[in-house]
Amino acid sequence: MSTSSDVMPAGVSAAGVKGPGNWSLRCLLIGIVFSLLSLFGLLFTTDASDPSRPFLGYMLAVVYWLSILIGMQFLIMLWWMFDAGWSVIIRRQFEHMISALPWLGVLLLPLVIMGLVDTQSGKVAWVWMSMDAPVAGTSGTVADDVLYLHKAPYLNNPFFLLRFFIYFAVWAGLAWAFRTWSFRMDATGDHKYVHRSRVLAAFGLFLSAMATTFASIDWFMTLNYHWFSTMFGVWYFSAAMRAALAAGVLVLFYMGSRTDGLKGIVNSAHYHFMGCLMLAFTVFWAYISFSQYFLIYNANIPEETFWYNIREMNKDGTYNSWWWISMALIFAYFLFPFLYLLWHRNKQGNRLKFIAIWILVFHFIDLYWNIMPQKLWADNEMGYDVRYFTVSWIDVTMFIGVGGIVLWSFLRSASQERPIPIRDPRIKESLNYHE
Amino acid sequence: MPRRPIIENGRNFAWITQKVCGIVEGRTPQWWWVAFVISCMVSSFTLMGLVYLVSTGTGVWGLRSPVMWGWAIVNFVFWIGIGHAGTLISAILCLLRQKWRTSINRAAEAMTIFAVVCAGIFPLFHVGRVWFGWWLLPIPNSNAIWPNFRSPLEWDVFAVSTYGTVSLLFWYMGLIPDLATLRDRTRMVFEKRVAEAKTGFAVGFEKAYFVFRKYFYGILAMGWRGSNRHWSNYEMAYLLLAGLATPLVLSVHTVVSFDFAVANLPGWHTTIFPPYFVAGAIFSGFGMVLTLMLPLRALFGLQDLITQYHIDCMCKICLATGSMVGYAYAMEFFIAWYGANPYEGFAFVNRAFGQYAWAYWIMISCNVITPQFFWFKWARKNLMLVWILSCFINVGMWFERFVITVSSLANDFMPSNWDYYSPTVVDIFTFFGTFGLFGVLFLLFIRFLPLLAFAEIKANSPDADVHRDSHH
Repeated sequence: MSTSSDVMPAGVSAAGVKGPGNWSLRCLLIGIVFSLLSLFGLLFTTDASDPSRPFLGYMLAVVYWLSILIGMQFLIMLWWMFDAGWSVIIRRQFEHMISALPWLGVLLLPLVIMGLVDTQSGKVAWVWMSMDAPVAGTSGTVADDVLYLHKAPYLNNPFFLLRFFIYFAVWAGLAWAFRTWSFRMDATGDHKYVHRSRVLAAFGLFLSAMATTFASIDWFMTLNYHWFSTMFGVWYFSAAMRAALAAGVLVLFYMGSRTDGLKGIVNSAHYHFMGCLMLAFTVFWAYISFSQYFLIYNANIPEETFWYNIREMNKDGTYNSWWWISMALIFAYFLFPFLYLLWHRNKQGNRLKFIAIWILVFHFIDLYWNIMPQKLWADNEMGYDVRYFTVSWIDVTMFIGVGGIVLWSFLRSASQERPIPIRDPRIKESLNYHE
Repeated sequence: MPRRPIIENGRNFAWITQKVCGIVEGRTPQWWWVAFVISCMVSSFTLMGLVYLVSTGTGVWGLRSPVMWGWAIVNFVFWIGIGHAGTLISAILCLLRQKWRTSINRAAEAMTIFAVVCAGIFPLFHVGRVWFGWWLLPIPNSNAIWPNFRSPLEWDVFAVSTYGTVSLLFWYMGLIPDLATLRDRTRMVFEKRVAEAKTGFAVGFEKAYFVFRKYFYGILAMGWRGSNRHWSNYEMAYLLLAGLATPLVLSVHTVVSFDFAVANLPGWHTTIFPPYFVAGAIFSGFGMVLTLMLPLRALFGLQDLITQYHIDCMCKICLATGSMVGYAYAMEFFIAWYGANPYEGFAFVNRAFGQYAWAYWIMISCNVITPQFFWFKWARKNLMLVWILSCFINVGMWFERFVITVSSLANDFMPSNWDYYSPTVVDIFTFFGTFGLFGVLFLLFIRFLPLLAFAEIKANSPDADVHRDSHH
């Protein structure tokens, strides 16, 4: 039990992670180059069969990294709320990571601007933004779609734009406050920052829960704006938590390998507990995803089931490419990690690293599955077509681009501040944590 | 910032044992008899209601088209929800290594089991001819009729019976070391009590009571000797049961939520129901734990074992789960509008402003507003206030189920079919009596079994800390 502060274990870097091996500048360059490349692709490439595909590839990459950071911020807030001791050294790594949140807002902004400006080309996947756009499966346009007209008080450009800024104000504002206070405590050792952070975490959980829910509704659910599910926000939260824990483990391994990082500080208990949380959220994600699927399947109401139908079969009833992705999600994204993480020894070392990477890969596929399939207007007997599973070059370049920016922001922050919050009142508990 | 101790005033092993065993070994307090008699009388209302139901028919309940589900399902879900705190505390908080759970887990688990008993009455008796209740089980009878496996009501049978069984086993297993302590103290208690006995009758009574206690605790303790091997098996079994019970805690109320959510009825069919019901169940369970534990803590002077820290933790769980429930209410309302289905939209507007608006606003104020007081330390420290708020939570969670069940049914698709549902006196009697039944069972538990898991509490006491005198 620790009561003292101002702990300085032997070998804690006073200056953070500096070179050699700090690739922050290289990450930044990669990030800028690849993001610009993707932006170029977004604006200037045309795909006649599916004009909005680059838009979604771009969005997918941003919201992938965003989910990791949102999840990490949730964990920071939960740890403050619970007054957790074991996680203090991990919290600092997450504080470095969430420094990238404002940049993700900047990266996502082109899509929103495009939605507001470009109403003709069909490149914007938020179909409801173009009043003249034909509605899939019907002969009318958005402007005379009764369902759109009902939703128009929520789904309109000014309000959408306002919400976009509110979400990022919440996320970036919280990130700024938690980071600033934690770093100040390093310098001054003043515990008032602990109390402040705890109070803010209480409000922040509310705000971030709302922002995350409505962001997922705005950006993903409205892609098929006829569809609705009360569970959807919870799904994005659960996915974000899984991604954050997996990415957090990899960050710990990286920092744990550096003498100016966490080498000799992070121990097997920290990894073990992260592994346990990964297991818990694997189950939670499956619970949420299954519940949503099951209730819609069982009720069998066409206005809801179409969302799953397009993820399963073609118009003639044969399986489409999403069906295979669905199976992969069930068996490879739930069942395998679930069984794997039950074993104690799998929550350590390379085995843990492996499953963290595995989860991060499938998290991307989960986002593909939830975001990409969309009913597209088509001149055929059904009046619509479905976007099938494809990987476009823009998905890859933007993934690298956003990743570069996030890693740059992380490494830059990590090079400026200490790798652990040395004057946190619970730091001793975290350092001495054992299973 | 030191951690708050789980046991206050540095109480040692002997004090803890004496304190908890003393409750069972001492003379029966007068208030216990008063409470017991009242509870028995109250529970007779359930008996009366059920006898009248079985002898007359299910028509004695206030059910008529379109409200074919009324108080019975509301009461069932209410009691099942309350039965969620115990196993959550003993299983999930065990996995999360929350040591404070040890002071409250025993009573909460007992509460769980008694609540499941009360809950079981309603679905069992709603079949009317209760002697056919066994038809619920998948036993192919002489007509080769199977129950409908596609009905969530059938899943309820499996979910609740599994949950009840595992909760009982879990509770009993945790009791074994404590029962062994009580067994070992039987003779000591007998000698003390027989020395105080003044008349021959009293001595005879003490002798008979000694024999009863000797066998009662002796058999239940299953030969526990507290050896290293016993403890190591115990710890492993506890961990495994905790792992098994954790999904059960979630599955029971998930299945209960399916009772509603698989129906294509506006207000019932919404995808957030499973986690929303689970959060609500934990919320109501902790509400009931607070309602019960605060008076017991004062009556038996357990302030050093159930400290302000424990009360804070329970209040905060109420706050968290109450807020989750609030999130679900908000999301239901938003999506009911956003979904643009006029029936769904009407169901929610009707809930808030229709003929059952009074029930809806009771629900909102009790479940969403009440727990927000727990943000504040002054509120959590005012135990009278905490107790009152916990009672509000119990009330609010009953009304939640009432609102969901009745408002959607009473104003369904066809306005010419609408009705205003009211319970009959039989409904009210049957439900009222279950509080008596619950009270009877809980009072018997207090009297005969250790109220607190003192073997586990001792592991958290300062005496158990080998590094107590040195910093490490």
